[in-house]
Amino acid sequence: MVKLNEVYQSYQRFVLGTASVIGFILLWQLLLTYIIPFNSFFITKPSLIAVAAKDLVSSGKLWHDLAVSSKAFVWGFTAAVLIGIPFGLVMGWRRRVEYALDPFLTALYASPLVALAPLLIVVFGVGLTGKAVLVFLLAVFPFIFNVFAGVKSTELLLINVVRSFGGKEKDLYFKVILPSTLPYIVAGARIAIGRGIVGIIVGEFYAASEGIGYSIALYGDTYRLPEMFVGIMLLMILAVLLTSGMRKLELTLAPWKVGQEGR
Amino acid sequence: MNSLKGFYRDYEPTILGTAFILLTLLLWQMIPLVMTLSKGMALFFTTPAQIVRTFFDLIEQGELQKHFYVSAVEFIVGLGLSIVVGLPLGIIVGRSPVLNALFDPFITAFNATPRLVFLPLILLWLGIGIWSKIVIVFIGALFPLLINTYEGVRNVDRVLVNVVRSFGANEWQIMKLVVLPNSLPYVVTGLRLAIGRAILGVVVGEFFGASEGLGFMIAMAAGSYLVDVVFVGVTLFMGISLILTMSVKMIESRLSRWRPEDVKTF
Repeated sequence: MVKLNEVYQSYQRFVLGTASVIGFILLWQLLLTYIIPFNSFFITKPSLIAVAAKDLVSSGKLWHDLAVSSKAFVWGFTAAVLIGIPFGLVMGWRRRVEYALDPFLTALYASPLVALAPLLIVVFGVGLTGKAVLVFLLAVFPFIFNVFAGVKSTELLLINVVRSFGGKEKDLYFKVILPSTLPYIVAGARIAIGRGIVGIIVGEFYAASEGIGYSIALYGDTYRLPEMFVGIMLLMILAVLLTSGMRKLELTLAPWKVGQEGR
Repeated sequence: MNSLKGFYRDYEPTILGTAFILLTLLLWQMIPLVMTLSKGMALFFTTPAQIVRTFFDLIEQGELQKHFYVSAVEFIVGLGLSIVVGLPLGIIVGRSPVLNALFDPFITAFNATPRLVFLPLILLWLGIGIWSKIVIVFIGALFPLLINTYEGVRNVDRVLVNVVRSFGANEWQIMKLVVLPNSLPYVVTGLRLAIGRAILGVVVGEFFGASEGLGFMIAMAAGSYLVDVVFVGVTLFMGISLILTMSVKMIESRLSRWRPEDVKTF
């Protein structure tokens, strides 16, 4: 008995957390089965969601939607990495570039660029390009500003050492600045993932013919609530996995930099 | 000449920053003068001068005020509700380890997921009236506030709590004397993030299920190729977010002068 108590003590958070999730699902199911009159146009229950999930998985529909959405996400996100990191590096390293670009980019970062979505869809079409551009626009700024902050926090001593030993500008970038910026890049990636998912969802809600966001909106319009919940839950699971993976990576790369705001 | 140079040196960041923005606008304005746009491109093109003109036209017609009013109500009510719910909940979850463990899986999951995925569900439940937008703003803004309040409460100095307790303070007095003042900077940070999410909720909510509001205006205009109207809406949203975030940022830096400068996150 003492043993069991000790086990509970050390896993208390985990036990309570799991219990509350299971309790929530049970409560949901029981309330709608026995107490609240069930109206399938308005609400659904876990048992029906499970059936819908099985159908969508076995028919391959879910994976197809996921693949379509991921493709646009990966294109936009890659572009954000490839453009955001160099911009941030140069902005952090060159004082005049910082002065010139900072107000402009800060204004863009602070503003809801999602508002451009209808225009982007009209210009680039409902396919891959429009969504990828939207993801890029939303995801590029966390990279720029995190890399910028990373460069700013680079140890001046290390730079002087490389310089003293005859290192060139290129060596500074690749041997000192980039490595010390790495944890910041990962932190930027974590924020960018969330914003990128927003881009995909909004793009697909607005106009698309396939994809996970499109499916959620379509199931909502046609009152197929169990299927809609499958889509929502899939997105939730992915978002949690991606963000917590990034957080782990962040902690491994820079254990001293915990608890950054804006998660 | 020398004083001019000195002036430049003193204000270099401001001068370069303003110059870059002005230059960008000027280049944008000059594009149609320099090259002829193909018919397809011209449909999607507008200039800053045209956007300003359309802005004043829309004000004169009363269009803009009407949409702005609806969006503002959604924003204020939604954000207000999220403050009323988020702060007490954050404090409770921060003070009680058991409640914290119970709520944590849900808070983490909902915070990681963009709450916009619930928009179709909320539209189904509440229709396209004003309440569906208020709710989407509310759930968008709730989590940053809740999480930051909770972090602030958790990061309270244990020594201070123990000192106050030794002198016979009850839970409410501990809250008032130590916990709340300490978590205030965190709450303000949460508020800044919440404002961004709230505006996002207004924009996207109005795109899909609305008959009024600035987001609705943008979506309608884009559908009928009125690019200048789209940009009036987008610029207005930009201006509002900038003013709000910057003013909260000013409060923030006053309150947390002693905290180390962190990464810019909106």
